[in-house]
Amino acid sequence: MVADVFLTILTVAFALMVVFSKKTVVSAFALLMTLLSLAMIFFQLGTVFLSAVQVLVNAGAIAILFVFVMMLINLEQFGNNREKSKVKLVISTFTVLVVLGVFALVINNNIDSLSVVNLTDNSMKALFDKLFNSYFLPFEMATVLLLAAIVASVVIATHEKDESIEQMEILKAEEKL
Amino acid sequence: MFEVMLEILIKTVVILALPLGALPIIIHVERRGAAFMQKRLGPNRVGPFGLLQPLADVAKFMFKEEVHPTHVKPFFYTAAPIIALVVAILPLACIPVMAPFQAFGRTIFPEVFRSDMGIFYAFAASALGSYGILLAGWASNNKYSMLGALRACAQMVSYELSLSTSVVAMIFLYGSNDIHVMISAQTGYWFGFLPKWGVFLQPVAALLFLVGIFAESNRLPFDLAEGESELVAGYHLEYSSMKFALFFMAEYIHMIALSALLIILFFGGYSLLPGLELIAEKAPILLAVLQLTSLGIKIALMIWFFVWVRWTLPRFRYDKLMDLGWERLLPLGIANLIVTVLFVYFRNQ
Repeated sequence: MVADVFLTILTVAFALMVVFSKKTVVSAFALLMTLLSLAMIFFQLGTVFLSAVQVLVNAGAIAILFVFVMMLINLEQFGNNREKSKVKLVISTFTVLVVLGVFALVINNNIDSLSVVNLTDNSMKALFDKLFNSYFLPFEMATVLLLAAIVASVVIATHEKDESIEQMEILKAEEKL
Repeated sequence: MFEVMLEILIKTVVILALPLGALPIIIHVERRGAAFMQKRLGPNRVGPFGLLQPLADVAKFMFKEEVHPTHVKPFFYTAAPIIALVVAILPLACIPVMAPFQAFGRTIFPEVFRSDMGIFYAFAASALGSYGILLAGWASNNKYSMLGALRACAQMVSYELSLSTSVVAMIFLYGSNDIHVMISAQTGYWFGFLPKWGVFLQPVAALLFLVGIFAESNRLPFDLAEGESELVAGYHLEYSSMKFALFFMAEYIHMIALSALLIILFFGGYSLLPGLELIAEKAPILLAVLQLTSLGIKIALMIWFFVWVRWTLPRFRYDKLMDLGWERLLPLGIANLIVTVLFVYFRNQ
């Protein structure tokens, strides 16, 4: 019980630090700590596999790429662009309300009907049985969403790159003239 | 409750004391081995055969003046070496040094963290290995350190993929992710003389894993993170005295942990070396000691292999390293995984 409360406070504290920290790299490391304390919560619940996957995939690969990019482009040189705008305020309030509403719905109505997987014994088998039988469609939808995001990012990245290459070529041509 | 706490405490002390105690010996072997391969003598002045040299080194590291540069980011600068060492020690928790045995009326498992998911825990802990280096490079506020850290990080993330494919292939082959089940599947002999080690079943996976651990521990030929000729010393350029020693220790402990994982997956873990069964049959009480000895000998041979490769192969160029990782090893790993899964599927039919 004490451990649960402690881990919850830790996770929330680090999550708040991600949002409110002024330094980008500190935010990135707070994100890493949030992911690790989430892994500890999974571990505390007895699901070693989920916690290992959380560390392996989220903390060990995804968060590393975040930190990597942030260090590479040195965001601090762009200054602190945390200007207050009404649009931002409205959008963030709306998002927070939607997320809270979803939580309230789940807690109010569905908490008993949610099929809880007993992950503590033979955890991988139970988990993947749910994932590839009962929840196969949402799982596949999530992968399609990820694929779309990958394609979109590639499109955006290559588009900008082409322009910059063209500009370079124009500059070179001008130098020759 | 008290008994359980005591058991965990004893295991933790043992699993920490063994690698930390072996560390000076490994560093001495590395230096003497380098000298041996380069036709030099190496450190041979302090004590017999220079065996006291590591002690002298430790004394020097402890009492040397610590230079604390003013341009660094203080918190992360101090945290980085500690994180590097702690993360390097973590995977050791699930490595069994001998078979489970009966004592005090219950079965005692000789690893600190007992779970049938032990192998995942080990790789999850080892996946965090690049944070120490990344932080050190960034906090040093120095272009050489930064470049070294970025190289190390990209390299570790890339080679983790091919490493994981080989691990997953082995998990399919043994049909379990319990380290003790994996090791017991590798005990015994084929045709009466060939040990049932995983390396004979899956030579491709073993090769992938071997290359992967060289890249993960940032050792030559993949030590682009340090690259003396290009980056001065890479990520630990701004560190001196004990802080530098922590990075040094982290590298060697990471090597020991990864070697132990290689041995568990491909060389039978603590299963007895050929020939030791004769002693174990005559004196069953020595079985645990013999298993510990076997594991120790295997890890020692693996460390010698690390040293041997370090002073034999030159450093890769960075683009070739990335090509090797993404264009050769990853497709090879995925192909090997598919073949293994098909084989296991039709075997179980």
